[in-house]
Amino acid sequence: MPQNADNILDHENLFRQPEYVELFENKKRDFEFGHPVDKVKEIVEWTKTKDYQEKNFARDSLTVNPAKACQPLGAVFVANGFARTLSFVHGSQGCVAYYRSHFSRHFKEPTSCVSSSMTEDAAVFGGLNNMVDGLANTHSLYKPDMIAVSTTCMAEVIGDDLNAFIKTAKEKGSVPMDYDVPFAHTPAFVGSHITGYDNALLGILKHFWDGKADTAPKLERVPNESINFIGGFDGFVVGNMPEIRRIFKTMGIEHTLLCDPSDNWNTPTDGTYRMYDGGTTKQQVAEALNAKATIVFQQFSAEKTAKLIAEHGQEVVALNHPMGVAGTDQFLMALSRISGKPIPAELELERGRLVDAIADSQAHLHGKKYALYGDPDLMLGLTQFLLELGAEPTHVLSTNGDDKWAAKVQALFDASPFGKNCKVYPKRDLWHMRSLLFTEPVDFLIGNTYGKYLERDTGTPLIRLVFPIFDRHHYHRMPIWGYEGAMRVLVMLLDEFFESLDANTIIPGKTDYSYDIIR
Amino acid sequence: MSLTMEETKARNKELIEEVLKAYPEKTAKKRAKHLNAFEEGKTDCNVKSNIKSVPGVMTIRGCAYAGSKGVVWGPIKDMIHISHGPVGCGQYSWAARRNYYIGTTGIDTFVTMQFTSDFQEKDIVFGGDKKLEKIIDEIQVLFPLNKGISVQSECPIGLIGDDIEAVSKKKAKEYVGKTIVPVRCEGFRGVSQSLGHHLANDAIRDWVFDKMDPEKNKFEGSPYDVAIIGDYNIGGDAWSSRILLEEMGLRVIAQWSGDGSIAELENTPKAKLNVLHCYRSMNYISRHMEEKYGVPWVEYNFFGPSKIAASLREIASHFDDKIKEGAERVIAKYQALTDAVIAKYRPRLEGKTVMLFVGGLRPRHVIGAYEDLGMNVVGTGYEFGHNDDYQRTTHYVKDGTLIYDDVTGFEFEKFVEKIQPDLVGSGIKEKYVFQKMGVPFRQMHSWDYSGPYHGYDGFGIFARDMDMAINSPVWSLTKAPWKKAA
Amino acid sequence: MAKLRQIAFYGKGGIGKSTTSQNTLASLAEMGQKILIVGCDPKADSTRLILHAKAQDTILSLAADAGSVEDLELEDVMKVGYRDIRCVESGGPEPGVGCAGRGVITSINFLEEEGAYDGMDYVSYDVLGDVVCGGFAMPIRENKAQEIYIVMSGEMMAMYAANNISKGVLKYANSGGVRLGGLVCNERQTDKEYELADALAKMLGTRLIHFIPRDNIVQHAELRRMTVLEYAPDSKQADEYRTLAKKIHENVGNGTIPTPITMDQLEDLLMEHGIMDAIDESVVGKTAAELAVA
Repeated sequence: MPQNADNILDHENLFRQPEYVELFENKKRDFEFGHPVDKVKEIVEWTKTKDYQEKNFARDSLTVNPAKACQPLGAVFVANGFARTLSFVHGSQGCVAYYRSHFSRHFKEPTSCVSSSMTEDAAVFGGLNNMVDGLANTHSLYKPDMIAVSTTCMAEVIGDDLNAFIKTAKEKGSVPMDYDVPFAHTPAFVGSHITGYDNALLGILKHFWDGKADTAPKLERVPNESINFIGGFDGFVVGNMPEIRRIFKTMGIEHTLLCDPSDNWNTPTDGTYRMYDGGTTKQQVAEALNAKATIVFQQFSAEKTAKLIAEHGQEVVALNHPMGVAGTDQFLMALSRISGKPIPAELELERGRLVDAIADSQAHLHGKKYALYGDPDLMLGLTQFLLELGAEPTHVLSTNGDDKWAAKVQALFDASPFGKNCKVYPKRDLWHMRSLLFTEPVDFLIGNTYGKYLERDTGTPLIRLVFPIFDRHHYHRMPIWGYEGAMRVLVMLLDEFFESLDANTIIPGKTDYSYDIIR
Repeated sequence: MSLTMEETKARNKELIEEVLKAYPEKTAKKRAKHLNAFEEGKTDCNVKSNIKSVPGVMTIRGCAYAGSKGVVWGPIKDMIHISHGPVGCGQYSWAARRNYYIGTTGIDTFVTMQFTSDFQEKDIVFGGDKKLEKIIDEIQVLFPLNKGISVQSECPIGLIGDDIEAVSKKKAKEYVGKTIVPVRCEGFRGVSQSLGHHLANDAIRDWVFDKMDPEKNKFEGSPYDVAIIGDYNIGGDAWSSRILLEEMGLRVIAQWSGDGSIAELENTPKAKLNVLHCYRSMNYISRHMEEKYGVPWVEYNFFGPSKIAASLREIASHFDDKIKEGAERVIAKYQALTDAVIAKYRPRLEGKTVMLFVGGLRPRHVIGAYEDLGMNVVGTGYEFGHNDDYQRTTHYVKDGTLIYDDVTGFEFEKFVEKIQPDLVGSGIKEKYVFQKMGVPFRQMHSWDYSGPYHGYDGFGIFARDMDMAINSPVWSLTKAPWKKAA
Repeated sequence: MAKLRQIAFYGKGGIGKSTTSQNTLASLAEMGQKILIVGCDPKADSTRLILHAKAQDTILSLAADAGSVEDLELEDVMKVGYRDIRCVESGGPEPGVGCAGRGVITSINFLEEEGAYDGMDYVSYDVLGDVVCGGFAMPIRENKAQEIYIVMSGEMMAMYAANNISKGVLKYANSGGVRLGGLVCNERQTDKEYELADALAKMLGTRLIHFIPRDNIVQHAELRRMTVLEYAPDSKQADEYRTLAKKIHENVGNGTIPTPITMDQLEDLLMEHGIMDAIDESVVGKTAAELAVA
């Protein structure tokens, strides 16, 4: 009998017991009618070849294991970053269940979001009634200060008009006439979650700055000295935003974080559930119009938003997820230039310590090959940092990165001797990456949780620095931005290196001569 | 807080009235029909079910796609399941359901992969049938050992009028021996996952059973052949169930659908008996097999020793004495383990109260397991149950139990806040809400990444998990000591 | 710079909507207006007479080739025709597949984002038969067309379609700013056509802005893929279009919220004008053969 009350066996051990091993064998042999073992082995080997890679890269219709999600996910992210704001997604309800689960699995936090629960009748007649009832229910039940509406692909295909629907709902008394219901059309079949982030944030800024869908006067910009910060879609937002706040404070710059979900996804367990916590307030959004400039930390995550802000007369500095020493330097110098304030000694000291750490450890990372995949801006930031460490970002892949993005990555390669043998792969997925890892192996892989399947198949150790991370806890609580964040990333890279080295030298009497006590 | 039965009932009534007050009138009227305190002796729970969720209330429900791809089809391991439409649906459900399996992923097994047609605007405007054809071709090139393909429709497919049936037929002809199954499980159909289960069952009937080659995959039948229906092998549940059926002398010729294969689906009409765990998601195909192939079916419950023993005997009653003896032998064999588990955990869990909100069969099926540990379920409800589920629930729940169908986030939060159970069992979306409130929680969809919970081997894990949730030292830390006094 | 006028022509298929709109817009161009035509019919024939050719490079066909609309540039899709009228066709799928309505949304979003409207006096949307789904209502959403002109005739189905389109306009008129500019009757020489059109316009709470007499010169021009304005600028028919153009130009701000009527009211209207006899309920649903026996 495998199980034992004194020593409860969990799944990973229970099913290795002989009773179960036999059960698996019998099932497979007698009833599954699968392929012969040799055939399976043959195909396993074939998938590692150049021939397979060519066929794999020739596909133009099938996507396998992509590294991107759909627009409304980004919209839900954005809504979560505003004070007492409830995300309302107009369309099928299953989508909302998915967004909530997805974020909760990553942040280990509740994620509130409602759906207008459109069904077959709404597909035929349009979802106006769902909007009217839905806004009324959401407003009376959850008492948000603002309801941020976005759409699922269902509502987009049938062409529901959010602007008109929301106005009608207001006329019918679902919410007060002057209640704030910013909206964004976020079709899932255009772009990815970063596009949804952009559209949703654009919707909110437009709402407050440009006359609340023609129901209020447009705001007049009265420039001041403050600086806005837009982070973009970011899986480490809980750790990153406080770091950004600290940097602004240290430099003594008035600032507004436009979309800051770092409190909402970081509430305490103290006996009280907070449905809303922190976030950018409506007043802050309105006042953000007056800022001197806006820093867009992830250009590809806020392209349209950046354009709108520029059109309102602000300087927009669009960055590509700057990381590491030079990346952070660039960010701080931009802040300094705009604000006219010097970079304080405190930050310079942090920089020095980071450089110190890199100097201490660079030998272990020098020339190491990395494969990485994820959102376009994050890839640019990581590429820059890896090159700075003397490592080689051999394969840089993004499912939602386009040719414009690829050109930027290539420019980074071209600017560094370590980028010589590196290649960028726009609009590719993790099954493409699998081929690359076989035909042109690297030392380490940087990705999200789903990278573990690549680690399993190709033996490439995975470093989790990309959203979503479901199978490791609390990474998102630590920043990866700023010098402090770079330190964290450096340690993660080193940890994986040392762990791999130890694992590779651990056989007693065989390989353990290199199992060094000092590294 | 020990209330009398009357007090409990009165409190539950009051609670229901209180939550309804928060809604606009029209919605309160609708929601009132879904909430009730169970009256002993009634044949159902007196709640409305399987009707549309109210917009804007934060329903916990999913969609038909989730029911078909996520639940029924996804675990069939040697087929490739295309999430047909935009990228999101497949992405969010990718490997999220812990359907354990044995196989070489990406080669002859594909469960934890995300195949999507990643619809772009042009596919919506011009239709996606050509792309689907191309995708099926590309699959044959890159994944030659697949045994078949299912096309899991996302919302746009039905809205733009794609003809996935025609594509499937055409491609099945082209790739002889590969089963290609179109499923019309667009998310806007129906009111929850439930319709997706039904559509998925129907697709098995129409595109697997009605098209199978009787000469394929022959095996010698035996009088003791059974198929496990409606076990998705979450954390290995179907395995810790199968072992018991085999130990009692039965031969399991198929698993539906956890660790299942297309061959096993096709084996099943040859079974002497279908044993059905998740009634909700697979009663349709069980009824069909009974009508068309004369395979009777019986429901069973493998949560907790009391229900396991009763179920083993019930299953055995459909067979000869050899199997009946086998059932007794199995029950006796595990008695010592069961006793030891209960001896260890019952004292730590005795009298603890539980509130559940789950899908499928669990809102009733797990109640016995809690009771084996001395715990009481004081509230339960179904995400997507029908009236026949609520009828079956009457055999499990006690008088006065709070019943909430398709509970909203608001209601659930208020109920738990007032009732203060020792444990809440629900899903990932609910988990952190209640933990923040200081209430211990277990995910009862994914077993909170633990399991199996089925069978005797699973019961030990279940008991241990409930204990670790409720009796974790962390719950004594939620209030800062300087605040405790206040 | 004058404020951008956005108008839309709707109407039942085959009513001569594209012909009417192109001739009218050609007249407006003649008046010195800078014009952009956005064809929102999957058949992509809304700009044929201006360009002397059917537009080959529709937004959606090019986007499909390029991958997505994001990969397109405005110059790829914008053609310049008679009197510098700019023309874009949204295009769309073959009949029976895909979602043409979504195509309209895609195209208009693309044009706005690319700044296609900058410097224009008029943007005119030419939309297929009926407002069958949300996509085809895109041009009448808020901040799109301010006035809708319905092209119709004295035929029953054309009037039925006009009424349906009014319903679509009404839906958006309450929340947005769209108004019904008027009916344009394209003479079919049916009985009492002018009276009927005029009566229908009144019932719909609008006016018959112009009645265009039938003239074969339109067909002659069309065979040459030209507007009458270009083919025979001195013709009487050209003047008719000039009149219509002038009326539309002066119609700014005069649009109304339509008051669509019921099917019964429509039938009553036809009866009133003696177009239709009172319906004998006993003959409804009977075939000719059945009626002959009876």
